[in-house]
Parts: sequence; structure tokens; C-alpha cells
Amino acid sequence: MIFEKRTERIVLAIFFVIALCLPLFLEDNSFFVGKATTVLILAVFVMSLDFLVGRVGLVTLGHALFYGLGGYLFVILTPEYEAVNFWIYALYILAVSALTALVVGVVVLRTSGIYFIMITLAISQMAYYFFFDSLEFGGNDGLFIFMKPETSIFGLSFLNLDNPSHFYYLALLAVLVTLLAIKIILRSRFGRIVEASRLNPERTEALGYNIFAFRLISYVIGSTLAAYAGLLFALQYGYVNPQFMTWEMSGTALVMSILGGLGTIYGAILGAITYEGLQYLFEHMSEDWMLLMGGAIILMVLLLRKGLAGYLEKLLEK
Amino acid sequence: MSTELFFVQLINGIQYGLLLFLIASGLTLVFGVMGILNLAHGSMYMVGAYLVWYFVAVTGSFTASALLSAAIALGLGILIERVLIQRLYNRNHLDQVLLTIGMIFVFNSLQSILWGNDPYGVAVPETLSGSVPFTDNSSYPVYRIFAALVCIGIAAALYFVVSKTRLGMLIRAGESNREMVEALGVNIKSLYTIVFAIGVMLAAVSGIIAAPMRSIVPGMGESVLITCFVVVVIGGMGSIKGAFVGALMVGIISTFAAVLMPTLSNMIIYIFMILVLLVKPQGLFAK
Repeated sequence: MIFEKRTERIVLAIFFVIALCLPLFLEDNSFFVGKATTVLILAVFVMSLDFLVGRVGLVTLGHALFYGLGGYLFVILTPEYEAVNFWIYALYILAVSALTALVVGVVVLRTSGIYFIMITLAISQMAYYFFFDSLEFGGNDGLFIFMKPETSIFGLSFLNLDNPSHFYYLALLAVLVTLLAIKIILRSRFGRIVEASRLNPERTEALGYNIFAFRLISYVIGSTLAAYAGLLFALQYGYVNPQFMTWEMSGTALVMSILGGLGTIYGAILGAITYEGLQYLFEHMSEDWMLLMGGAIILMVLLLRKGLAGYLEKLLEK
Repeated sequence: MSTELFFVQLINGIQYGLLLFLIASGLTLVFGVMGILNLAHGSMYMVGAYLVWYFVAVTGSFTASALLSAAIALGLGILIERVLIQRLYNRNHLDQVLLTIGMIFVFNSLQSILWGNDPYGVAVPETLSGSVPFTDNSSYPVYRIFAALVCIGIAAALYFVVSKTRLGMLIRAGESNREMVEALGVNIKSLYTIVFAIGVMLAAVSGIIAAPMRSIVPGMGESVLITCFVVVVIGGMGSIKGAFVGALMVGIISTFAAVLMPTLSNMIIYIFMILVLLVKPQGLFAK
């Protein structure tokens, strides 16, 4: 069983049951289906960050770089007036993202600790200003997607990206695949060495493992998953702009991941839902929702030592 | 670029660098001594600028407003440390990051509630409003020279306090061995409160000094925060000397880049920082 904890199994079971049925209840309300889709996409992004920060021990403040990259690559690499095949192009874009992450990883992984936080921040800021100041990539306005891709597999088409419910299930599938992928990686020999190198790098190195290589591969995996989330987000709204890459975006994802319970992976889903839910609630309660949001974040840090997942585990584990 | 323009830009760069140093010094001091990465540091810069704008509008006196704002910032620093930061000393760094992000939300929101979202400006105080002739047909504003001198003065004072006084000795001792300092009977809790409050005040004072030179706008704290990160990382986290050198480098480079290569000007300091880290992965003056 790859889900070792009781809490994890309960939370995920409840989540997937509700998530699977949600569009049935919201059938007439495409706004809420769209909102729920966004939360799912963010959950993918936050899970990929949680894997890097909580499990590999790479605290990055530049994760949004790859979120934005996924969106930009889609618009740049696809022909403007022809619907491409989603699956083929998604693979293509993920491959390019992985390659980019490999190059960026070789540079940033030369540093560690607080310097790693800062160099990742610097690289994503560079990318932000690169797109912000560029003429060919639309500057601050970004780029629009003219043709949504088609999604047939071997000629069979069962998914229509213009249908909010269909897109919702595509995002839910992404959540499931990301969750399983990270869980399987963590359970494997590779994952155990990665965790060992977070807990005790010297000893892991002394055992003959090349920590740098393990961290680099993990960085590529985490970044590629983030690029997939960004690609989905760009497709959902039909555009990409430099706002995808701001440090606030990276910071918000980090907040979601810590709120959910760092390193628990399923907590990332809880964190994304809670944060987005609170923001939606506060925005409707008051114009000054940021005050409430800030207050809620401060309270949760003070009260929840290990995030929402930690709190639930205290309740549910014997 | 003519020699004259070169020197004007050089002075602009140094003056901007000195201001950056003043903001970054608080960030690096708090990190070096307490190990706290205060993401809300930029918000304190914003608070300083808004407070001085508000008090100038009420009292009309820049000097009185500046002193009053700095005092309020010091009090605010003590309050924040006592009520919030103190509870997180035994927690991991990411909890501190989360808390200070929450504080950014709160301060940005309070700014918008109290003073609205319009941009404001503070008039240069009258005694400092002239310009010094530079060459036959150019001159340099007195206030900018004054601001640079204040920054140098505070830098010198900070250096003196940290390296020559008893408080500075305790600060340095607390940096290298917290338990030992405690065992010697020093109240490390109060020491931390003082250091954090000084850090907040340094940021606010930077905002006060910058107010007559820059526009006071929502979000001004975050943009300055990121630039300060670049400064302290180039210099080496926790090193005040490093912050000084880093700030001057960043100030001069970004000023010249804005003139010489406008398309790259936003990116240049990040490129520079990455180059520095590739050569020295812990900054120029790593401990």
C-alpha cells in the first residue's frame, strides 16, 4: 500500500469521492466547475513543490518559473491556426520543460540552504522580466491561445476541452497521476536515497551515492510536474502572461504547501483547497480580504505546528 | 556617454546603493543574529514612507515627522517580535517564512484601508530643496546628497555599535553561540527583541529618507524586498560589510544598465547575482 497512513487514506478517499461527483452537482454552474478546476490545477503545482521542499529538501522560491514555462511553451511551440493533439504536445512540452529544468538545476544546485532559495528566486525573476520586457512574447499582456487542442487518442475522442466538466476531469486526472507518481517515486529505492540525503547528506554521500545527481533528477521531476500544471492553467483560461511567474505565485504555493502540512503530499491538496476556499470566502465577505487572509495565515502558523495534515493526523492516528 | 553624464550616473548609482544598504542592513542583521528570514522587511520600508507622508501632511514639519515615524517603527518592531516572532524561535525556517508572508498581507491591507491606493509624494524639506552646481550646465539636488550622507552616517553608527560596544559584542556572541551567551547570564530574549526592533527601524528609516525622492505607492515594499535579497545574497547573508559592498554594486550596476541597456536593465542584477553565486556559492563575504 503506497498510502501508509490512515489519515492519508481517509482524506484522499473523501477527496476523490467528492471530486468525482462535484460536476454532477454543479452541472448548471460552469463558473464553479471552472473554479474547482483551477483549484485542482493548483493542487498539482503545490504537490510538485511539496515534493521538492518537504521531501527532497530543496526549498525553492522560484517554482513558478516552470508553471509559467509550461504555459509559454505551449503557446510558443504550437502552430497558431491549427488544433494540435493535446497528448502529443503535452509530452513534447514536458520534455522541453524537463530539459530546461536540467540546465537550471545544474546551476542552482551548486548552492544550498538560504542561497538555494535566493538563486531560484533570482532565476525566476529573470524569466519574469524576460517575458515582461519582450516584444515577441507579448510583454506584460502575454500571449493568447487561438486554437484549443483536440484530445483524441488513436482517433477516439472522448474529451472536449471546451466543456468545463471535461476539462475538470482532465485536471482531476492530473491530480491523481501526480499523486501516484510522487508516491511511487518516494517508495522506490530512488526516493529513499533522496530522503536519506535530505536527512543526512554526509552519511548518504559516504555510502557512495552522488547526492547532486539524485537532487538534480528530483528537481527535474518536480519542475516538470509544475510545468504540466502551468500548461493546464494556460489552456483553461486561454492565455499565458508573466504573472504566472511572479515570486508571489511561488510564495503562495509555498504557503499552501506549508499550510497543508509540509512533506505529506496529500496535505498539498488540502492546502490548495483551503487557501483558495478561504480567499474566495474572504473576497466575498469584505473588500479588505487580504487583512483576513493575512490574519488567517498568521493564526494557522501559530496554532498548527505541522499544518492541516499534521492536525488531522493527531486526531485520526492512534 | 560623456564624462559628465558618467559622473552624474555614478553619483546616482552610489546614492541608490547607499539607500539599498540601509534597507538591506536590517534584513541581514536580523538574519545574521536571529536566523530569521523576515519577508515582511519590505513592508516596514513601506510603513516608514507612508507614516512620514501622513505626518508631514498633518504637521508640516519633515524633521518632526521623520523622528516620530522612526519612533513608531521601533515600537512596532518590539510589538511584532514580542507577539509573533518570539513564538517561532523553536520552529523551522519555513514557518517563519509563512508567518512573515501573512504579515505582508496584513500590512498591505492596512495601508490600503488607512491611506487608500493613490500614489503620494512628500515634498523635499525646504532647507534641503536646492541643488549644488555640478558643472556649468548641470546640478545635483541637495536632498540626494543629504540622503547619501545620512545613509553613510547610519552605516558608520551601525559599524561602531556592532564592533565597539557591549551590545555589539553580545550581538556577535549571540550569532556564534546562543547557548553560551545565555549561560553567561545574558537575557537573550531581550537581545533578540532589540535586534529585531532595530532591523524594523532601519527599514522604516530607509522608507522615510526615500519618501521625498520616490513615489509612495502600494506594493513599494515588495519590489524593494526582492532587490534587498539580491544585495544580501551577493554580499553574503548575515554580513553587514557584505550588504554594504553588495548594495553599492547593485546600485551602480542597475543605474548604469538603465541608461546603457534598457532592455536588460530589469534582469541585470539577477544575472549579476547568479554569476556571483556561481563563483562564490555563499556570497562575497561568507562567514
